[in-house]
Amino acid sequence: MTTDIESGRGKRPRRSFGLARYSGLYIWALLIALFAVWLPDTFPTTQTLRSVADDQAVTCLVALALVVPIAAGIFDLSVAAQLGFSLVIAVYLQSQGIHPVISVLVALASGLLVGVLNAIVVVKLSVDSFIATLGMSSILAAGVYTVTDGQPIVNGISEGFTQAGRGTLLGVPLTVVYLAVVAAVLWYVMEYTPLGRHFYATGGNPQAARLTGLRVDRITAYAFILSGLLASIAGVVLAAKLGSGSHLAGPPYLLPAFSAAFLGATQIKPGRVNVLGTLVAVYLLATGVKGLQLAGAPPEINDLFNGVALIAAVALAARSARRARS
Amino acid sequence: MSDSQHPGAEAAVPTAASAGVASSVVPALDVVGLSKTFDGTQVLTDIRFDVLPGEVHALVGENGSGKSTTVKILAGVYDPDDGGAVTVAGTALDLSDPSASDAAGLRFVHQDLGLVAALDARDNLALGQGYDTGWPWRIRWRSEGAAAREALDRLGYDIDVTQPVSTLSISERTAIAIARALSPRRETPAVVVLDEPTANLPESEVRRLAASIRRLSAAGIGVLFISHHFEEVFDLADRVTVLRDGKVVTTRPVAELDHGSLVELMTGRTLDVDHVAQPQSELRDVVLATSGLNGAVVRDLDLTVAGGEVVGVAGITGSGREEVARLVAGDLSPESGEVVVAGRRIAAGRPDLCKAAGMSYVPAERKTNGIVTGHSVAENVVIADLRPLRRRGALRARLQRRDADAWIERLDVRPRDGGLPIESLSGGNQQKVVLARALRLSPTVLVLDEPTQGVDVGAQAQIRSHIRAAVAEGLGVLVCSSSSEELAEMCDRVVVMVGGRRVRDMVAPMEVDEITAATLQSVAEGTA
Ligand SMILES: Nc1ncnc2c1ncn2[C@@H]1O[C@H](COP(=O)(O)OP(=O)(O)OP(=O)(O)O)[C@@H](O)[C@H]1O
Ligand SMILES: [Mg+2]
Repeated sequence: MTTDIESGRGKRPRRSFGLARYSGLYIWALLIALFAVWLPDTFPTTQTLRSVADDQAVTCLVALALVVPIAAGIFDLSVAAQLGFSLVIAVYLQSQGIHPVISVLVALASGLLVGVLNAIVVVKLSVDSFIATLGMSSILAAGVYTVTDGQPIVNGISEGFTQAGRGTLLGVPLTVVYLAVVAAVLWYVMEYTPLGRHFYATGGNPQAARLTGLRVDRITAYAFILSGLLASIAGVVLAAKLGSGSHLAGPPYLLPAFSAAFLGATQIKPGRVNVLGTLVAVYLLATGVKGLQLAGAPPEINDLFNGVALIAAVALAARSARRARS
Repeated sequence: MSDSQHPGAEAAVPTAASAGVASSVVPALDVVGLSKTFDGTQVLTDIRFDVLPGEVHALVGENGSGKSTTVKILAGVYDPDDGGAVTVAGTALDLSDPSASDAAGLRFVHQDLGLVAALDARDNLALGQGYDTGWPWRIRWRSEGAAAREALDRLGYDIDVTQPVSTLSISERTAIAIARALSPRRETPAVVVLDEPTANLPESEVRRLAASIRRLSAAGIGVLFISHHFEEVFDLADRVTVLRDGKVVTTRPVAELDHGSLVELMTGRTLDVDHVAQPQSELRDVVLATSGLNGAVVRDLDLTVAGGEVVGVAGITGSGREEVARLVAGDLSPESGEVVVAGRRIAAGRPDLCKAAGMSYVPAERKTNGIVTGHSVAENVVIADLRPLRRRGALRARLQRRDADAWIERLDVRPRDGGLPIESLSGGNQQKVVLARALRLSPTVLVLDEPTQGVDVGAQAQIRSHIRAAVAEGLGVLVCSSSSEELAEMCDRVVVMVGGRRVRDMVAPMEVDEITAATLQSVAEGTA
């Protein structure tokens, strides 16, 4: 071993993930190039760019709401239901003549509250997070239905509110601006603060984390609360974008958000869900779908492409991990 | 062994003495030219050795020298590089087929045991040997239970076979893994491979295991035995193969070796394991005190540790020794009683408050309690305190690297690369990382549970001298250990537990055998 002590560092290559880590970015670039050549008139336009970015902003926000609990080793299946809940609250309160700013704040508070409830059920009552948040989804669905009475809410929504959802800033859709701000803050929290590291450590081995003196219950609770807040932000953004509220708005976001978070876990920091990887995953998928749609593919291509890409990417990541191991 | 249960064993089998020269015997296991490369790093180079029928063959080497990797290749966990060959009792083993080694008659006790934590002893034993079933596919639980109890009884353990093994102590779990490898329900194995089976066993249980191993060898079964405890190697083995840096240094009859020469072969240098009596540090204020502590086994435990002293806790499995550190460090909530750390009373079950009061804790069982999986070595070193890594509010990768590298250097973690995933380190090196994490907090009290499990002799000496230096500065240490040797080397005082009670105190200088005897002797006295 004596010789190794000096040479050890140089001899052992850093994980051979170089290619795999950024494979999403390469594939994304490849897709863009491919469609640009194939569809030179429709694909490489600012119109396409803007619509892809805008369409996916909410999905991205929901996926980011999942990054935190998954990092901490827990599931939050209630993110989509929370999105739907805060969305109808923001819209319903306005339809009752309440000031939009207050409505938005109440909607965000509802997300925090649901996060707190999830935390209590999981931490204090020791219910498995998968089950607790599944139950919470169902409860929230009932709440949403009660508020909307099963009818879309379209009247009484403030002009300023919908402007905030549909406007642009220097040509960039506002939804994308919100996403950028939220993603930047969350990225900082996850990568550069002790809280972020504590989330990951708890997810890595909760027992070890607890015994090193981390407050694993509290960290778990924060994860749910943060997730609730992010989901409700997504809800408010979607409300502003749609300018209406319906009990059907939330649920469809669940699967794409999970796909994006897991696909994102194969990117940038392989093996860990992470903010940048998640963004790459969402926009990679969206670019592919958009290109195919412009090329005349039928609408179901969306789900098909997402599903195939998710399975393929995660399988490839598992394969490269296995290679590294054996 | 005269009490051998295997008929005719003694006459038929070549004994240790003949092993060295018996070239006409077909080896039970023959390993030729095995190499292994991980990620472009060669960790094994041209490994070759053989195990004869009835031979106990020891595999020794420093942490990270490649012992477990060799074992995992034999077990089909890893594929070796091209060019190696393994034969079992004369038949070539297909190394690319994970089930081949079992079919060929190799049985394993892996370093991390490989039990399913959520299942009980019956299930874990059946994982190796299949269930006893009636019609239609109905598991005969009664007979499974009886068989499991009997298998464990043969090793000298009385374990509740219906409890998930995660609730059992590490020595009991070791026993289950050994029982699975030695299962009589299957055909007689050719070779039993034991990777550090004694790392978590008290001496008395090591002796029982040694008796089982001798029975195997008397029955003509080859045994490949890995241990960092040299006395076991000298006691049990016929021949020793020494690994260094993934290469075989030599294979020799154990009779040609002594402690010093074995260390030299392992490390390539003579080791200054200083057996110099530790200077008595000056005693200071009490930094850790328990009063009337009651746990599942522990009864009315009063303990004090002053700054500047090292207090040990000894005891056989089931004596309560396994529980003491966990109660003190807040892992388990005591039924009653209190723990006071540096003058502060700690609420039950709160490791975070212990840390805040100045305690660091190294739990037993690094895999379940110690290492943070999916994280790098450096992240594992620093996770307990991230404050020094911040500049203007943000954590800095450069500070983390520098901080972790210093500790990696200090505790001689190999390879010296904080960026590696923790899972890729050898067992002993992972343990050094967990120790580094605790020492890095500059605690006033250090609670150690099986601190040097799986750590090689050289590194142990290094770790102990490191702890000693901190003790001289006023650190108080509580060491719970199954190893009398470790206690004798480290401690100023040792508290002996029997049947959950503190029955005896010993003061340095202590003999290893004296401590072992105390843990046993008192069984008769203490329970009378
Ligand atoms: N999965 C892996 N990926 C990369 N490197 C690995 C992997 N497993 C082991 N290694 C490396 O192989 C070398 C040998 O490790 P091994 O576990 O065989 O050591 P060991 O002799 O069993 O040590 P110990 O006494 O600490 O158990 C070490 O340098 C280790 O870091
Ligand atoms: Mg090992």
